[in-house]
Amino acid sequence: MSPIDRRLLIHMNWFLLGLAAMLFFVGVLNLYSASGFRLEQGMSVSSFYQKQLVWGLMGFAGMITFMLFDYRHLRTIAWPLFWVTVILLACVPVIGKTIYGARRWLDLGFFNFQPSEMAKITILVIGAKILSRSSDPLNIKNLAYVVGVGLIPAGMVISQPDLGSGLNILLILGGMILYRGLTPKLFKTLAVVGPCLIPLGWLFMHDYQKRRVISFMNPASDPLGAGYHIIQSEIAIGSGRVWGKGFLGGTQSQLRFLPEKHTDFAIAVFGEEWGFAGAMALLSLFCVFLYQMVVTAREAKDLFGSYLAAGVFFYFFWQILINMGMVLGLMPVVGIPLPFISYGGSGTVVNLCLVGLVLNVSMRRYVFKQG
Amino acid sequence: MSLYESKTQQPPKNGLLLLQGLILLLFCIFALRFWYLQIHKGEYFSEQARNNQLRQDNLYAPRGLIRDRNGELLAVNEPAYALGIVREDCKDLDATLKTVSEWTGVDLPKLKKVFKKSRRRVKPFEPLILVPNLTFEQVAVIEANSLYWPGLEVVVRPRRKYLQGALLSHVLGYVSEVDEAELENDSELAVGDYVGKQGLEYVLEKRFRGVKGRRQSEVDATGRRLKQRILNPPKAGEDIDLSIDLGLQELGGKFLEGKAGAVVVMNPDNGQILAFVSAPSYDNNSFTDGLSQKEWVALRDDPRTPLQNRVIQSVYPPGSVFKMTVAGAGLHYGVVKTQDIVYCPGHMQLGKYVFRCWKKGGHGETDLEKSLVESCDVYYYKLGKRLGVDRMSEYAFAAGYGKPTGIALPHEKSGLIPTRKWKKRRYGEIWHPGENLNFSIGQGYTLVTPLQVARSISSLINGGRLLRPQLLAGEPAEEQGVLPINDRQREIIRKAMIKTVNGSHGTARRLRMKGVVIGGKTGTAQVVKLTDEIKKMKDEEIPYKYRDHAWMASFAEKGTERYVVVCMVEHGLHGSSGAGPVVKAIYNYIFKEKKEKK
Repeated sequence: MSPIDRRLLIHMNWFLLGLAAMLFFVGVLNLYSASGFRLEQGMSVSSFYQKQLVWGLMGFAGMITFMLFDYRHLRTIAWPLFWVTVILLACVPVIGKTIYGARRWLDLGFFNFQPSEMAKITILVIGAKILSRSSDPLNIKNLAYVVGVGLIPAGMVISQPDLGSGLNILLILGGMILYRGLTPKLFKTLAVVGPCLIPLGWLFMHDYQKRRVISFMNPASDPLGAGYHIIQSEIAIGSGRVWGKGFLGGTQSQLRFLPEKHTDFAIAVFGEEWGFAGAMALLSLFCVFLYQMVVTAREAKDLFGSYLAAGVFFYFFWQILINMGMVLGLMPVVGIPLPFISYGGSGTVVNLCLVGLVLNVSMRRYVFKQG
Repeated sequence: MSLYESKTQQPPKNGLLLLQGLILLLFCIFALRFWYLQIHKGEYFSEQARNNQLRQDNLYAPRGLIRDRNGELLAVNEPAYALGIVREDCKDLDATLKTVSEWTGVDLPKLKKVFKKSRRRVKPFEPLILVPNLTFEQVAVIEANSLYWPGLEVVVRPRRKYLQGALLSHVLGYVSEVDEAELENDSELAVGDYVGKQGLEYVLEKRFRGVKGRRQSEVDATGRRLKQRILNPPKAGEDIDLSIDLGLQELGGKFLEGKAGAVVVMNPDNGQILAFVSAPSYDNNSFTDGLSQKEWVALRDDPRTPLQNRVIQSVYPPGSVFKMTVAGAGLHYGVVKTQDIVYCPGHMQLGKYVFRCWKKGGHGETDLEKSLVESCDVYYYKLGKRLGVDRMSEYAFAAGYGKPTGIALPHEKSGLIPTRKWKKRRYGEIWHPGENLNFSIGQGYTLVTPLQVARSISSLINGGRLLRPQLLAGEPAEEQGVLPINDRQREIIRKAMIKTVNGSHGTARRLRMKGVVIGGKTGTAQVVKLTDEIKKMKDEEIPYKYRDHAWMASFAEKGTERYVVVCMVEHGLHGSSGAGPVVKAIYNYIFKEKKEKK
């Protein structure tokens, strides 16, 4: 069958595509505002939103690429993909490029490639492959196997150090495991043991990470240091009130009180300028976007497709939860961007590619329906 | 089979429910949080946002100018550059203070102390003055690097400058940075403000101060001002013209250079002070930015006591200039008549004590006029004996001694006029008859300030009015009392003073001037009871601290113009030679040089 089979287009989740496109353009619009700041005279707008547009074009190209092949082929290349990713991750400490004190990038000449982004896709694929063998709840043996596989890339990413992406990988896999379900006994055991592991995590944290946790607990303890971000972002969002200050009207972000306003804290700019009304609209948009993935996961032709869609669901779900939780002052500051809204090259491309993957699953569900 | 397969192929039902539940949870959590931040606490955060971007700070008001009676500037304001730190903008306090220390040379512990002391009083978004006075070089360095050190700010504010420095320190006083106690008591003041601490600056603080203005600025996160708006322009303090004549002041200052003493020139008709010189003096400009502990101790413990205001804070035995007062008392109480003759053999015996006249050979037959003109001690011994301490002190108080003159300067001394009661209280002893004799020639316990003498002399020629000495031009005369003696009695004393200058035996002959009526009285006040050894010495051989104080009290009249000039030179030996020349120079200036200038 040809890749441009009419039926493929008919069955594709156009709603999801539309939502992704809308989110992306809301993000660009917001970046336009976030990257401009008032000087003494007039406005100056730096080019983040333009770059984001370019990344978006590349992302949509990637999305189409991810739709062209039948996703079931991924099942066959899952293990080779896994090992390639592990090798690339192993290369990072050796030939990687150091930016902002962390070695996360591979210089491919024309752009800097982050193997940790690739690891997120890989974990989806390998996770879906392992978990889709059956739909019975996982027993301890199967759980240990799948977690063991996930820990290899996750551990390598965390040691870069990139705690955010590493946790992201584990969380995606964890979400997929929950999607499959655990035996009641195993679930109860984990519910007891899991929380006990949290203090252990503290030992492995860097000082700056510990500081963030402390300043999250008590932002006022260090209003100009780590707590500054949280206080300023709450002020920006809160001062937006019901209707916001209007596009380009956010004083907190425009006057540069808000740090990282074009990346991790982009939603604060949005909240300030569009108010509660805008925030609710954006939040609803995200929720419907996520729901469309649930729809695809339900209607997928096979379990592999369903797990892929669920994995992508968690990929977005955790990022939205963590980022908004941080910006709204509900969680410690962790450098995780908000999909589509935050500026970021590889992030945008990966986001759109993964949407493409879900679309791919949705396109090819007809075979099942026919059969 | 196909049925079985389709069943196993079903996506996990619970899993799908979980995903939908998670979406619901996500929505609820964040919708609630947005509601809490934007609606519930929206007003609070809006206020915070305004505070974040809008800042108000003070615009310093220039202090009122001070001019002399002819409009010559005495105290002005010059721009001073202070280094302030805005805590809210400062990212790394320790590093910033360290850098400030490197730039300004102020050692780090001291900066930290200043910072700690002031932080409670300065709002986090207002500049806290770290270094009050920067040189132009330092300003240049700071301005060039301020971009890298957010929070540092050069604050420009007016600073007091006294153009004549030490010459007028004892009149003008000085300003200095406000202290804790002043801040507590005056809500208008803020840390780093200058306030008057001494002299007229202190007394007229409220008039000089003016009202600070307020400026609102929109700032960005680095504290850079983007837009600003003046909410209230600062109101400059009141300019004040003094009664002081800078020319006379300079003349007095020049004469007293290297000496210790005081010169007062007063207009007897309204109490206005034309010259008010106290020497040695200190540079009041040095107080503006604060003296170091070492400098302060050196100044305070200087044996020449430059901080002492000798016009109103130093008290001296008046010596013979007190004889006008005793003569007045004699006339007032009817104890002497002008024509009464006393024979002066050069000494007087009282019990087993011998009281000497300054003139060994004596003055022979002496009447009241001669007693003043030639300053006969024996005449006053006899007069004092007859008057007694009660009447003498009563009259002395009426003549303005023993209490402050009420001039508008802080810490004025009242001097001392002894009474029986005082003696009993002070020494637990009764008043001895011999002490009347010492009292009568201005020795003993009696202590006066040069300003009291000037006022007392004024009252002899202005119709008997005791006027409050005034330092501000245009201030109306303020009568504080009336000399008890009548016109005729005052005229007797006045005539005698004129004869002291113009008579062939007068002690103040050096004041004589053509075309001007000048009266005077010299005084030589013993500092210690002289031993015979010292008495035998020539003047130059006497150790400085044993030398007598020299007084010259005088007045001059020409037409309606009248002046009183009093000069007192510590350890100046003789009234005429020690204090006379400057008085003469002052009259020269008033009646000749100044007239020629015009």
